[in-house]
Amino acid sequence: MESLPDAVLQYILSHLSNARDVASCNCVSHRFHRSTPFIHSLYFPRNAFDDTSPSNPSTPIILNMISSAARLDSLIVYSSFSAAALSSWLSLPSSSSLRRLELRMDSLLDKGNAQLAASEAMSKLQCIDCLKGLEELKLWGVLMTQFPNWTAFLGLRTLEIVGARFKDEALLEAIKACPNLRLLALLGCDGIRSLSIELLQLEQCRLDFYGQGNCFLSLNCPMLHLLEVQGCSWIQVNPNHRLTNLTIANNGGRVYKVDLGKLNGLEFLSIRGIQWCWDAISSILQSASEVKQLVMKIEFTGDFDVLQSFPQVDLVDFFNAHSKLERFEIHGAMFAALCQKNSLKRVDSRFTIPCLEEAVVTVRSPLNAEQKISTLESLLRYGKKLKRLSIKILQMKNSHSSTDEFFEEVCKFRSMNANIVRIE
Amino acid sequence: MSTKKITLLSSDNELFTVDEEAANQSLTIKHLIEDTEPENGVPLPQVHSKILAKVTEYLIKHANEPDNDAAAKEELKNWDDKFLEKVNHETLFDLILAANYLDIKGLLDLTCQTVADLMNGMSVVEVRKLFNIVNDFTPEDEAEVRKRRKRGTKTIGPSNDQANQSNH
Repeated sequence: MESLPDAVLQYILSHLSNARDVASCNCVSHRFHRSTPFIHSLYFPRNAFDDTSPSNPSTPIILNMISSAARLDSLIVYSSFSAAALSSWLSLPSSSSLRRLELRMDSLLDKGNAQLAASEAMSKLQCIDCLKGLEELKLWGVLMTQFPNWTAFLGLRTLEIVGARFKDEALLEAIKACPNLRLLALLGCDGIRSLSIELLQLEQCRLDFYGQGNCFLSLNCPMLHLLEVQGCSWIQVNPNHRLTNLTIANNGGRVYKVDLGKLNGLEFLSIRGIQWCWDAISSILQSASEVKQLVMKIEFTGDFDVLQSFPQVDLVDFFNAHSKLERFEIHGAMFAALCQKNSLKRVDSRFTIPCLEEAVVTVRSPLNAEQKISTLESLLRYGKKLKRLSIKILQMKNSHSSTDEFFEEVCKFRSMNANIVRIE
Repeated sequence: MSTKKITLLSSDNELFTVDEEAANQSLTIKHLIEDTEPENGVPLPQVHSKILAKVTEYLIKHANEPDNDAAAKEELKNWDDKFLEKVNHETLFDLILAANYLDIKGLLDLTCQTVADLMNGMSVVEVRKLFNIVNDFTPEDEAEVRKRRKRGTKTIGPSNDQANQSNH
């Protein structure tokens, strides 16, 4: 295959990225060796080189490989490195063209001296500042207790941080240094109590905070169409948003207030958590009147520490208020609350659930079996387009005889409607 | 939309007819048509009929690339994967040469990426075999290159440790 022109060989090699493959190619022939500067993307896996040891670390190899490229576009490093090593790589001429950078920072590992670890973490964050052309930055295992004095990443469109410990102030300043973000993801983050984001171009925002689940979040993002939040108790979004896709979850604490303004364009809504104040649930459901897909998995309600069960919600009222629903998923206690309290036995003959195609219902207790079966029947009777109704029976205590009765009822219900109903 | 037909002539004098729109994806063919307006087909003396058949198959499929339709894009991507699935290495390299000569960026990207994927995890010896390359390093050269890389010949090992994103 020596007939391949140099340009074509260079083009093929420019599609390589894994450092092991690049290193192999370097040893193939003189022509291959001469072509490696055309590599524009490098990826160093966690154990990039199997013959490295503390006395023979992989960092000089990485330095060597980065410097042998002429112009790097993308650099991904999953093997461990020091701040000094990172600084030496990123100050090479071939790094100055980087548009995409992904680093496993490893700053959260306990290394004994906390102060030393924090300053090492800070130095790593600081040396990224020299890459002015970055468009995409992804960092794993970040410790940011102070703002790393980034001047500004004006071209940065995507910022993803997975696994991090922040101080509020530091994170706030860091986000301000990236004013043109389109996508922001902060996943598995710790230490945040209050966060306020004002980004004019932000379209997608994913936040997943650990801890007490009592963060305060405030957003002012006029282009925002996707928001996923986990771990906030008070969420305020400037109503200028364009949300079509919204997920709010809280596994740690109580969701106290959700203030989003109108949600006319919302198509997907998922609300999950242990406890939500009833006001928060009802206000979000009322605003999301056009929603097509709805997932509801909240265990309890109540405004204070006492966990309360849900007030009953009328099925006819609920589906009349959400007439565009196509897919509907409801769990345990919330399903138990859905009944026909107002419309029981005198349902308006014109009532239908017009768009519903798929419903997933999780049942966790045999209590009020009759009401639950009747709710399931109603879904089937009024859901003219319903193609599938899945009933999931989860963690039900077997000791009670009513469990068996309930299960029998559900099985009967399934066998009568075998084409649509499934039990999982 | 133009429905003008273009005839392509392979090195072994086989004729292939495609819509002008499909043919124009090849900048070389586009310029040949503009410059010479050939009457008896566009002569492509560098491309054998066996390869040209494959190239025209690609051109026809990609003639109307979807802009915003995610499902159509997905379908096209699957088609691309299938398109090169049963191609042997020799044909693959011939396709690269043809795509390069005919200046069809999409096909060149696709075939080069396929070769790069083939090289994934290959040892030096395997890469030489794939490209049919004679090792032109002297043992001293080779030792030097390897030493500079401070690594052994083995390149085998788990390559995918991309951690999964933590999620809700």
